[in-house]
Amino acid sequence: MANEVTKTMPPSTRLRQTDVGEVTVDIRTPDLEINFGPQHPATHGVMRVLMRTDGELVTGAQPHLGYLHRCAEKIGENVEWLQYLPYTDRYDYLASMNNNLGYSLAVEALLGVEIPRRATLIRIICAELNRIGSHLVAFGTYGLDIGAFTPFLYCFREREWMMALFEKICGARLTYSYIRIGGVFNDAPPGWFEEVARFCDVFEQKWPEYVDLLLVNQIYVKRTANVGVISREMALDFGLTGTMVRGSGIDWDLRRDMPYMCYGEIWRDGAFKIPVAKGEMGALGDCWDRSWVRVMEMMESIKIVRWCLDHMVDGPVIGELPKTLKVPAGEAYVGIENPRGELGHYVVSDGGKVSVRTRVRGPSFCNLAVLEDILPGALVGDAIAIIGSTDIVVGETDR
Amino acid sequence: MDFQGILDRLVAIRAPGLVKADEPRKPDPKDKKDKGRAGDPFVIVEPALLASFVEACRDDDRLHFEQLVDLTATDPSKDSADLWINVQLLSLKFRHRLAIKALLPKSAAKLPSLVPVYRASQWHERECAEMFGIVFEGHPDPRNILLPDDWVGSPLRKDYEFPKEYHGISCE
Repeated sequence: MANEVTKTMPPSTRLRQTDVGEVTVDIRTPDLEINFGPQHPATHGVMRVLMRTDGELVTGAQPHLGYLHRCAEKIGENVEWLQYLPYTDRYDYLASMNNNLGYSLAVEALLGVEIPRRATLIRIICAELNRIGSHLVAFGTYGLDIGAFTPFLYCFREREWMMALFEKICGARLTYSYIRIGGVFNDAPPGWFEEVARFCDVFEQKWPEYVDLLLVNQIYVKRTANVGVISREMALDFGLTGTMVRGSGIDWDLRRDMPYMCYGEIWRDGAFKIPVAKGEMGALGDCWDRSWVRVMEMMESIKIVRWCLDHMVDGPVIGELPKTLKVPAGEAYVGIENPRGELGHYVVSDGGKVSVRTRVRGPSFCNLAVLEDILPGALVGDAIAIIGSTDIVVGETDR
Repeated sequence: MDFQGILDRLVAIRAPGLVKADEPRKPDPKDKKDKGRAGDPFVIVEPALLASFVEACRDDDRLHFEQLVDLTATDPSKDSADLWINVQLLSLKFRHRLAIKALLPKSAAKLPSLVPVYRASQWHERECAEMFGIVFEGHPDPRNILLPDDWVGSPLRKDYEFPKEYHGISCE
């Protein structure tokens, strides 16, 4: 009986080689359509996946978005250039600094202003600290999704300090609007860089705890290895970026390959590496590989922060800009490496005070599209692991 | 490859539908009305041949655009007769990008879908379709993605009028 059913399953279906016998699919049941979400803790926001199941097997999946659609792109056409900045905080609210940065770089590409060196270095420090914070949430809540509560608390312990650091520099804990067009809002308070250096020291000591507690934990490995495999070809075809594409074994990082700000200089100094998954625990491109990339990236971010602290210079932190900004006519696309992938801003100006078009290419939106293809053939329990491993922030998929 | 190199290659392989290149330029000092153009260079392509054009870009071994990063549309102004389709391609192998623009008449906002070439464009096209009222012919799943299924109008068109109510809920 079991063999018969296996034959009718889609070719992507597999009983795990290491686990054959643990899962027995014996009776074909009538198809059942279930709504996963919109209010489900594992969707990390308000998203609904309509799943067709045959017993424990997912045979079809259809993500439904839009519950958190706040018309960011329409707002962009109705407010002035500088006024739009706080809205960028609100698409990927776990990496607001990076969103501010992406938008500022896109507008600066049209303006052609020169950014003071000190501002650039502070920008990189903030972006990388925010990347660490974002990966901590991604990794911690991923453990939570698949049943490990404790590592989540360890992750939030360090994230709390990171947020306190941001509170000191800009007054906000989540929606910063700190990186502005032309530079950053204000200079770091006295002692801030020293505290960042202390944070780096402590983080380096704490980091092995995540690896020991969760990443190489046997239960975790069994839940994630060989699950939700995304092949290289699929990753390219679906336009996946960031940790998703590195998790599939493709060596690609915008910070190194298309450097912006002074990442090129940091890379040439040999200060950081790009972790690329090798399929150590199972097939290349599975859920474990993606979380491995995130954990390894945190340490590389620490190295980048250290480099910036060592090369910090004195000077102004914001370029000379008029209060009412008029952006030269033209159009520019700037993509930066967000924690979730390539965050692209496509801005069009007609020379006025308001943009003609502000397009946001959210990495979560593009990464989520792959669900329709990798969920069918998985078990319902694994579906949670797969959705969690794509590390979506619904604020960004819906914008 | 820089933009000029990509352009030369596109001409050499006779990429279908290539109209011309548009590069940023400084304002003309003699003409006071001329504002110039800032930003990135891009190529202009016939909308009906856009799918064949990106396919040629993907398959050529010197261009090698493996990824479609972004596909979106722009309504430049109320008076404009055209919508723009904006596509961003990326080559991981050669580390270069190409921005493509297709001018699509508002009176016949239709073009072939790019999904057979890049699966990545599937959701981008759905978003474009609902926000700008563009029809992508041959799209496998042409439902709304961010808006409700019964939404009326194309919100990102410049002539869009905000609704006064939605299902009896006042929006004013």
